[in-house]
Amino acid sequence: MAELDLSPITRIEGHLDFKINVENGKVTDAKAIGALFRGFEIILKGRDPLDALVITPRICGVCPTSHNDASARALDDALNASIPENGYLMRSILLGVENLMSHAAHTYVLFGPDLANKKYEKHDAYPELVKRFAPLTGTSYKGAVLTRIKLDEIFAIFGGKHPHTTFIPGGAPVRPQLSDITKALSIFMQVQDFLENVTLGCSIERWLENKSIKDVQKWLEEDEKHANSDLGLFIRLGPELGLHKLGPGPGNFLSYGVYAQADGKNWLPAGFYDGKHHSLDQSKIEEHIKYSWYTGYEGGRHPMDGITEPYYEEGEKYTWAKCPRYDGKPAEVGPLARMIIDKDPLVLDLAKEYGPCVYTRVLARLHEAVRLAAKIKEWLLELDPAKPFFGSYERPSNAEGIGLTEAARGALGHWVRIRNGKIDNYQVITPTAWNVSPKDSNDVHGPIEQAVIGTPVEDENNPIEVQHVIRSYDPCIACTVHVITPRRSYRLKVV
Amino acid sequence: MVNVVWMQGATDNGCLVSFLNAQQPDVYQAIEKLGVTISYQNTINPTSGKDVIATLEKYIAGDEQLDVLIVEGAIPRGPNGTGMACFIGPRSFAQWISELAPKAQYVLAVGTCAAFGNIPAAEPNPTDATGVQWHKTEFGGFLGKDFRSKAGLPVINISGCPAHPDWVVQTLVAVLLGKNVELDKYNRPKDFFGEEITVHDGCPRNEYYAFKVAAEKFGDRGCLYMNLGCRGPHTNSDCNRRLWNRQSSLTRCGIPCHGCTNPDFPEGSMPFFQRRRLVVEGWKVVPYIIGSGFMKLAKPSRLKNE
Repeated sequence: MAELDLSPITRIEGHLDFKINVENGKVTDAKAIGALFRGFEIILKGRDPLDALVITPRICGVCPTSHNDASARALDDALNASIPENGYLMRSILLGVENLMSHAAHTYVLFGPDLANKKYEKHDAYPELVKRFAPLTGTSYKGAVLTRIKLDEIFAIFGGKHPHTTFIPGGAPVRPQLSDITKALSIFMQVQDFLENVTLGCSIERWLENKSIKDVQKWLEEDEKHANSDLGLFIRLGPELGLHKLGPGPGNFLSYGVYAQADGKNWLPAGFYDGKHHSLDQSKIEEHIKYSWYTGYEGGRHPMDGITEPYYEEGEKYTWAKCPRYDGKPAEVGPLARMIIDKDPLVLDLAKEYGPCVYTRVLARLHEAVRLAAKIKEWLLELDPAKPFFGSYERPSNAEGIGLTEAARGALGHWVRIRNGKIDNYQVITPTAWNVSPKDSNDVHGPIEQAVIGTPVEDENNPIEVQHVIRSYDPCIACTVHVITPRRSYRLKVV
Repeated sequence: MVNVVWMQGATDNGCLVSFLNAQQPDVYQAIEKLGVTISYQNTINPTSGKDVIATLEKYIAGDEQLDVLIVEGAIPRGPNGTGMACFIGPRSFAQWISELAPKAQYVLAVGTCAAFGNIPAAEPNPTDATGVQWHKTEFGGFLGKDFRSKAGLPVINISGCPAHPDWVVQTLVAVLLGKNVELDKYNRPKDFFGEEITVHDGCPRNEYYAFKVAAEKFGDRGCLYMNLGCRGPHTNSDCNRRLWNRQSSLTRCGIPCHGCTNPDFPEGSMPFFQRRRLVVEGWKVVPYIIGSGFMKLAKPSRLKNE
């Protein structure tokens, strides 16, 4: 048996170390190691509740807007906010633009370069894969890096800057003019050019007509441009490269729902799926710490009563990430989970045919990106500059609030308790905490660990199969290990 | 060829995301026209694991010249002096920086975390985090006052949460062209952070400020200083002159400046949305209040909050 240390894992967001055991060419055990603790929400304790709006987005510079949204929604809830329709639209636009940007960056900058890995050099398509996806030099890679900048420009028109704008309870602080909206739409057309010409080889509308694998087959045959687009190439090559056999994971999926609308619904719904669809009950969320460098309790705890007491030691514990579970079960979060819970027909068909795997996960992400692009355009057209963007909120001295939303990479929740007008407890569970979680109190591995165990490793010096699996979840470690305000006074144990 | 190593410690990756927005030069022009080689940057690195460690060790051993070390993120020294609150493979982040920094011609601390400590170093500073050569407003930080990179310079600080890509790229270009970059009292390039530049400069709400029309609530047109906590007049950076993402700025979108380039950020700005009436201190308060009264009287009727 060989123990392989893959640390550090690059082309993910932040610090992830990873250790696997390989026996007879297969992974037999895996440890996902969150390698950063900032202890950062601690400074929120005793602060003005509105301070969370500025501090929490800085948990993650890659998906700060999901923290903007979650913190604003937690305070909407706690401060009895009333939000005009423009306020909902503006938040959805900013979060949608960021999530689209994240998907583009993940596909081309983080995941894509692995398709140009030397493992595939004997494949006929290898020269083409290198031409398009090689890091920095690939034509599609370069196009995506430069297109990303355009999405950030749209963001800044309404949010002031990216990364790190500030959301507020009660709507949005910006008052855009019609010319801001038309400018955003014009820049969006440049983004659409890349998406349609390079990624899809067809219009957004044409791709969205695909509701099943059969439709996709027809789409591939319909036009050379479809088959030769980046997506067409990936659809054809994925199974040939074996990506449909890698990284199944636990098969449970969780989404908090996202893009809140004025009618009280989310555009993409909340739910839990474990072979059956269930509605979401946030009281079933708990965090375990048996294998995490924290102490103070056994079993699981709901985040509203969460405790974070760091306890670093070299022994059984192996990560700075905590271990969230839903109804006691590990759950995959991210675009695949959102699409399954939304009952998207194409993704359900893919999941039925291939199961959850690297191939399905990547396709679900791209499919969601296309749906999102179409939706962002609709939202921009629905903005009404003549109407208000901000409503109101109150300042109760004692309140509790829950803010649930979705970052590009999955479910994000903020829980806040306010006492005497100040923050008493602020708890965050990030998407990557779900995916990259270690073993729980019952010694059940987290989703990525489960997905990696059983993965074949052809060449121990180039364990690309394992990296495909890890990266397919788009982990963002900057997010994972963060803050958490303990209810009791904070201290670091001397070990 | 110019070798650049970009190390990330206690950071949210925001400065890298911001850096990727650079234009004039964009990342490609920097690589192709300026000969920049990014030998290691975790988020975009082609390889993982052993290859990364070998690359970094090559610079530590002095086998290859390290031209520029960019540090993003604060440096945790905890828990209990181990530095293990942040690690990259076999070494703590602190260990990597202490070994790499003396080998570099230039060291750039990008972002307020690396420059001054920022949120990770905020009280009660649970991981004993600090900036590369400053701890908030105090000179010293992780490397100490006496540290000089091989080119004889202290760590160049480019603060901001995140740092503006122009601030990073233009500083890099100047350094690579052999120009003398003038620094302010916090070792930041004066071009962007000089005493005479504030976020207030170029803010379109300046006329509201002059006539003391204060935004009462979010979404109002008035000045964000008095009731919503804007730190613009107390923050040295050119956000409203340069603009972000070539489009806008926080104050232009109705969001008060949070003072994120300041060495005392975030504590110095908290609570972020507090009421503040006076921009000046000492005896100047008296003429300020009298002047404000007159300016309110002189207010043009077109200046309204609604």
